[in-house]
Formats: sequence, structure tokens, C-alpha cells
Amino acid sequence: MPAASAIKVMIVDDQVSMRAMIRRTLQDLGFRNMRDKGSATDALVAVKADRVHLIISDYNMPDMDGLQFLEAVRKDPVIGKTVFIMLTGSADRDVVQKAAALGVNNYVVKPFAAAALREKIERVFGELT
Amino acid sequence: MKRIPIVQGQFRVVDEPDVMITTVLGSCVAVCLHDCIARIGGMNHFLLAEPSPGNFTSQQDMQRYGIHAMELLINEMMKRGASRHHLRAHLYGGANIVAGLGNIGSTNAAFARRFVQTEGIGIGHCDLGGRHARRVEFRPYEGKARSAVVAESPPIAFQPRLFAATGDIELF
Repeated sequence: MPAASAIKVMIVDDQVSMRAMIRRTLQDLGFRNMRDKGSATDALVAVKADRVHLIISDYNMPDMDGLQFLEAVRKDPVIGKTVFIMLTGSADRDVVQKAAALGVNNYVVKPFAAAALREKIERVFGELT
Repeated sequence: MKRIPIVQGQFRVVDEPDVMITTVLGSCVAVCLHDCIARIGGMNHFLLAEPSPGNFTSQQDMQRYGIHAMELLINEMMKRGASRHHLRAHLYGGANIVAGLGNIGSTNAAFARRFVQTEGIGIGHCDLGGRHARRVEFRPYEGKARSAVVAESPPIAFQPRLFAATGDIELF
């Protein structure tokens, strides 16, 4: 059972308010080691420079969207196996299918409750302590 | 002019002229966003600001929160070609109408202001707070919005829970 506090997380969302809400939610779940970026481009540079265990990324972002970001992560020989959880809107069924094909570890449909996010993270990492 | 009424939990985005989005607000807040370059506008109508820390709300409940209503509105506008840098917001509602319901209206109003400021969105017309319901009319293509105090209460948009249709139901 991994300790949530030991998991390094990168949160990626173009909205400041949403990043803050995801941070608060993760904090409630016991996560302590978090950083965030407002664009996938910036996040990609950051996770290459300082590797993380988990990327939680929105799909709907300008410039590089969540799928392009996922693809770039998976293609990278160093960070390619980083756990990637995508946040999608309810109408993005085709996005989920494309993300699955690109190797997403799980997805969470927005709006999500803290319990839903925890469940998706635990499906990948096992029960959190 | 085509009129599109919205109620709590809904939002609409329009990119054509001669359309008006309307709603009636009590403690709820409606945010009207407009991109003057792309000539796209949209309005939402939300019940609550954001979940309190540690609140393990259901997904259905989460849809009533402003933080998600704002994201849905902004995403749809960007999908239609709006740019985040050109957005301007008009804010309405957040009245404290019913005594004993606390300051939900004020909380909603404060959230709306804080949200647009945090996201770097300029504020245009702002009519928040008070003790009366408002009718809001927004012409999304032109970016023109106005509000007026109304005597009527805003419609209650809660869906009544239905009994599961299994077995006999005793009515009394």
C-alpha cells in the first residue's frame, strides 16, 4: 500500500481555479508532493527535468491538449511509463477511447468528487495510505 | 430575436446575432462571458460556489458548483473559437433572498468575482448581492448584458426524487 504523501504529482489544467481545486482534493487524500502547470507544453518540460510518479492532466487545453500531451509523454524514453490520469468532460467518449489507445492509465470525468479521483488513483497504485 | 432561457445547472454558448440568453436568479449566479474579437458569448447559471474541503460530494451534486459551470462555459467558448485572452465577464445574481438560508448568495457572488480575477478575465457589468431576484438578458454575439430586479421568485430547478417502481407503493 503506497503512501499518498510519497507520490509525486504533476497537475496540468489551463484554469488556475481548477488546479487549485485538484490540489485541495489531493491534499485531502493525503498527497503532499504536488506541483502544477497551466499548459501541457510547460508540464512536459517540467516532468522531463524533474520526474514525477503521477500526471493528472485535463484534456481540454489550448495549444497542446491532453491527448497530445499523453502521446508526448509515452514517446519519451525516460518519462514514458509515468502514470497518466486524464480529466475529461462527460461528452468526451471518443477522447477516452483515443486516450486508452495511447496508453492512459485511467480517466476521471469532470465534474468529479474526491472519492472518484481517489478510486481511479487507487486502481493504478493500489490502496493509498 | 430568438430567446434562449436557461435554468440552474445549464449553460449556453452562441456565436450568431439576434439571439438572447435569459435567466432568472435568486442566490444563484450567472456569468456572461464574451469574446469581442471572435463575437462569441455564453452564459451559465450555478447554484453553489465550490465544494468545501473534505466534502465527498457525488458527481451529480458537483454539477451544481460554479467551478465546474465556469469550466464548461469556458471550454465550450474556446471550442467555438474564443480566446481566453479576449474574454470579458458580466456577473449577476448572488442575492440573499430567503432569511435563514445563510449567506449562500454572498458566497456565490464572492466566488464569481474571485474566479474571473484569478483567471485574468476582465469584469464588465457587475450586479451582485442585494435581497431581490433578478432577470438577466444577454446578447452573446454583441456582448451586451442587462439585469432587472423582478418580483417573482426564480424557478426551483431541483429534480424531485422518484420512488423506484418496484413492488407496491402505499400512498397516504
